[in-house]
Amino acid sequence: MHGVCCMIDVCDLKTYYSRGFLHRTSVRAVDGVSFGIEKGETLGLVGESGCGKTTLGRSLLRLIEPTSGRVIFDGTDIMALSRRDLRRFRPRMQMIFQDAYASLNPRMRIRESIAEPLRIHGLENRAGIGRRVRDLIEMVGLNEEHLNRRPYELSGGQNQRVVLARVLAMEPEFIVADEPTAGLDVSVQAQILTLFRDLGRDYHTACLYISHDLGVVRAMSDRVAIMLKGRIVELGPTTDVLDHPCHSYTRRLVAAPGADRGFSRPAPCPAPSGSPAMVEVQSGHWVEAAAW
Amino acid sequence: MPGRNTALYLSLGVVLAYCAVALSAPVIAPFDPFVISGPPLAPPDATHLLGTNDLSQDIFSRLIWGTRATMVLGFLGAVVSVVMGTAVGIVAGYYGGRVDEAVMRFLDVMMTIPFFPLLLVLTIFFRPGIYVTAVIMGLLGGLGSVRIIRSQVLSLAVADFVVGTKALGARDGYIMARHILPNVLPLVGVKFVTSAQHFMLVGIGLGFLGMGDPNVVDWGQMIERASKNGGIVLGLWWWLIPPGLAVTVISLALAWFAYACEERINPRFQVMRV
Amino acid sequence: MRMDDPLLCVRGLKVGFPTADGVVKASNIVDLTIRAGETLALLGETGSGKTVLGMAILRLLQPNTRIEGEILYRGRDLLSLPQEEMQKVRGREIAVVLQNSGTSLNPVLRVGDQIAEAITLHRGLKGAEAEAAAVELLDQVRITDPARMAREYPHRFSGGMRERALIALALACNPSFLIADEPTRGLDAVTKREILNLFSEVNRGRSVLFITHDIEAAASLAARVAVMYAGEIIEIGPVDAVLSSPAHPYTRGLLESLPAKGMRPIPGSAPSLIAPPPGCRFFPRCSCGAGRCEIEHPGLVEVGPGHYARCMLYD
Repeated sequence: MHGVCCMIDVCDLKTYYSRGFLHRTSVRAVDGVSFGIEKGETLGLVGESGCGKTTLGRSLLRLIEPTSGRVIFDGTDIMALSRRDLRRFRPRMQMIFQDAYASLNPRMRIRESIAEPLRIHGLENRAGIGRRVRDLIEMVGLNEEHLNRRPYELSGGQNQRVVLARVLAMEPEFIVADEPTAGLDVSVQAQILTLFRDLGRDYHTACLYISHDLGVVRAMSDRVAIMLKGRIVELGPTTDVLDHPCHSYTRRLVAAPGADRGFSRPAPCPAPSGSPAMVEVQSGHWVEAAAW
Repeated sequence: MPGRNTALYLSLGVVLAYCAVALSAPVIAPFDPFVISGPPLAPPDATHLLGTNDLSQDIFSRLIWGTRATMVLGFLGAVVSVVMGTAVGIVAGYYGGRVDEAVMRFLDVMMTIPFFPLLLVLTIFFRPGIYVTAVIMGLLGGLGSVRIIRSQVLSLAVADFVVGTKALGARDGYIMARHILPNVLPLVGVKFVTSAQHFMLVGIGLGFLGMGDPNVVDWGQMIERASKNGGIVLGLWWWLIPPGLAVTVISLALAWFAYACEERINPRFQVMRV
Repeated sequence: MRMDDPLLCVRGLKVGFPTADGVVKASNIVDLTIRAGETLALLGETGSGKTVLGMAILRLLQPNTRIEGEILYRGRDLLSLPQEEMQKVRGREIAVVLQNSGTSLNPVLRVGDQIAEAITLHRGLKGAEAEAAAVELLDQVRITDPARMAREYPHRFSGGMRERALIALALACNPSFLIADEPTRGLDAVTKREILNLFSEVNRGRSVLFITHDIEAAASLAARVAVMYAGEIIEIGPVDAVLSSPAHPYTRGLLESLPAKGMRPIPGSAPSLIAPPPGCRFFPRCSCGAGRCEIEHPGLVEVGPGHYARCMLYD
C-alpha cells in the first residue's frame, strides 16, 4: 500500500479510551489505521466530527498515547521510544492546532513564543535566536512590530501565522495540521493556506492535513484518506477519490454542498483485488472492502 | 478611569503604610511597649497620645509595635499558604490521574476538620511563637487554595498551547514553571491578598483568646485586656478602640486592593467581536 | 400597508461602540429592505459588521452603543419604541437564531425547559402544555427522540443538534421575521447540508435575514444577497447575479479566494473601524483602485436589474 522509503509509516494504529463510571465502556477512537506519507507529500484526512481524525493526529505524535500499533518515522518506531528519547525526536515532528489563539500562551509576547522552541532545544545562542525570530516572522508575512504584541492583540489569522513561525523554527520534517483554518474567514484562509503550501514546498515537509472541508483538502493534498468511525475507508490520489469515490460514505460526503464544484459522476468501480481489509480498485486508490 | 485606579493606589498605600510602621516600630514608637511609663489608665495627652493601660504601658507605642505581629501573621501566613497551595495545585492539576486522586482524597479528609478549632488546639498544645503560628495557619489555610488552583490548572493542562509546548519537546517541570504558573498567577495573587486579610483577623482572634505569645504585643491581646479589665465599663475608649480600628482599616484596605486588582486583570483579555 | 411593501426597511443605520481607543464605527449608513417571504443573505467576514446589524434590529446591543437611523418594521420605527413594546416584538414578531457558541443555551437548564420558556412568554401556554409544544418543536427540527432530548441538558447535544435546538427556540412563536446568525459555522459538511435543508423547510413563507460568512450557504438559501465590508454594504442584488458576475472588486476577490476557485488570497487585511479610510474602504487592498477612490466615498450604483455596487468603477 505504500512505498518502501516512506517518511511516515503507520501500521495498525489503535487508540481506545475507556469511559463510563467504572471505566467499562471502551471508545474506539482510532481503530486499526494504516497508511504511509512520503517526504514532501501532503496527505489529507477527511471525516465528520467524531470520526477520530483529531485523535489520530495526536496519536501519531504521541500527544495522546495510542493503545497499540506502530508509527515508523524515518526508520524509527516512535511508539517504542522512551519518554526521554521521544523528547529528542520532537523537533522533527510538529502539530498545528485548530484554534491559533489557544495555541499560544496568552501571557507571552509573540517574540518569546517563537523563540521558545529554539531555547528549549538549545538550537541557537542568544544572538542567533534574535536573528532567527526576525527571519521567521518575516517568512510568515508579519513584521517586527508584531513581535512585541500578545496573542489577544492579533487576529485569528495573524495568530495562526505566529504558530506557523513557531513550528517552523525547528524545521520539522513532518507536520500534522489539525483544521488550521477552521473558523477563519475565507480570504484569511486563502492567505494562510497559500503560505502553508509554499513553505511546505520550500522545506519539503511531509504533512497530514486534517479537515472536514473537502474544497480545502482538494486544494492542499496530494492524496486523501477518508475516515469513518476510527477506520480509513478510502485512500488514494485526491482527484481520484473526490471525483470518482468508490465507498458509499465518500460518495455521501462528496455530494454535500460546500464540497467542491467540478464533481463528475462516479465511474463504476472495477472489481476488487487484494487482501480483505483494503482492496486496491485502481493504482494507488484503496477502498475498505466491507461496504462499497 | 479615575475610580478604579484610586481604589488601587489608595488601598496599596494603606498596606504599605502599615508595613512601614511595622518595620520602623523601634524608631517611631515613643516608648518601649512593656515598660511603665506613666500613671495607669491615663487619658490621652501630649506625651501619651493614646493614654496608658492598666499596667501603665503607653498604648500608642503598643499599637505601633502590635503592627508587627499582625503583619507577620498575615503576610507570612499568606506566603506559606499560597506557595503550598500553588505547588500542590499545579502538580495535581497537571499530572491528573492517580496523583490528582491522592491529593483530592487527602484534601477531602482535611477539609472536614474546621480550621479555627484545629488551629486553636494546636496553639494550646504547642504554644508556638508568632512565626510558627503563621506557618501553621498558612499550611492549614492553603488547603483551600489547592482546589481553586487545581481547577484552573486542569483546564490549562489541556489547552492547546500547553499540548503544543509538550509537542515541542519541553520537560514537564519547564512547562509547569514557564506556562502554567504565570497563567495562574492572577488567581494566586488575589488569593494571597485575601489570605493575608483572613490570617490577620484570625491572628487577632487567637490573641484575643489569650493564645498569643505573651512576649509579643498584639492587638488581639490588647482588646482582650481592655475589655477584661474595665475598659468598657469605665468608658476608656482610647484603650479599647484603637486596636480594633487598626485591624479594621488594614482588613478593608486588603479587601479593596484584591478587588481593584481583579478588575484590572480581567478586562485586559477581552476582545470585541464585530 | 400594501402587499409588496417591504416588511423590514433599514435606513441610514449607523452603529458605534465607544471604547478606550475611540469609537468603533461598526456600521456606516446601511440601507436595506426585506420583503415578506424573502430570504436575504448578509454575507461578510469577521469585522464586517454583519452581526452588529442583525443585533441592532432587535436592539440587542450593549446599552452604551450609539445608534442612528431608522429601522422600520411594518412601518414602525423599532429604534424609537419603548422597552415594553420592543419586548413584544422580540420573539413573537422577530426572532433570532443566535450564533451557536458554548453559551447560546443555558448550560444549567434542560433544553426542553428553555424552549418551553419562550412558549410560555409569548403564547401563554403553561406547564405541561408548554412542554408538549416544546417537544413538538424539537420534532419539527428533526431531532430524533424529541421527548427524551427535551429532558437533556445542552452539553448532551452535538453541534448540529444544538443548532437545531436554537432554531426551534427561535420558531417557538412562529415569527414573521427571522434573523439567523451564522447557523452553519463550525459544522462539518454533512451536518451543514442537513441544517441548510431543515432551514429552508421550516422557513417557507417567512422573511429571513441570513447572516453568514459561508458563500455556499448563502447561495443555496437566499434569493438576494448583500455583501458587507468594513461596516458597509458594498454590493447587493439577486444571488445569482452577485455570485456569478460580481461587480465589486471585494466580492470578486472573495470568490476567487475559495479553494475551489483558485484560492487566490486578497492581500492585506480589513481596516480598523475606529479610523476607517476616508474614501472607499476597500481601496487599500483593491487591485483596480484609482486616485478618486482614495478621496471620494462611493455610493451604491446600479450595475444591473436590482443589482447595486459601491464602487467608483461604475460611477
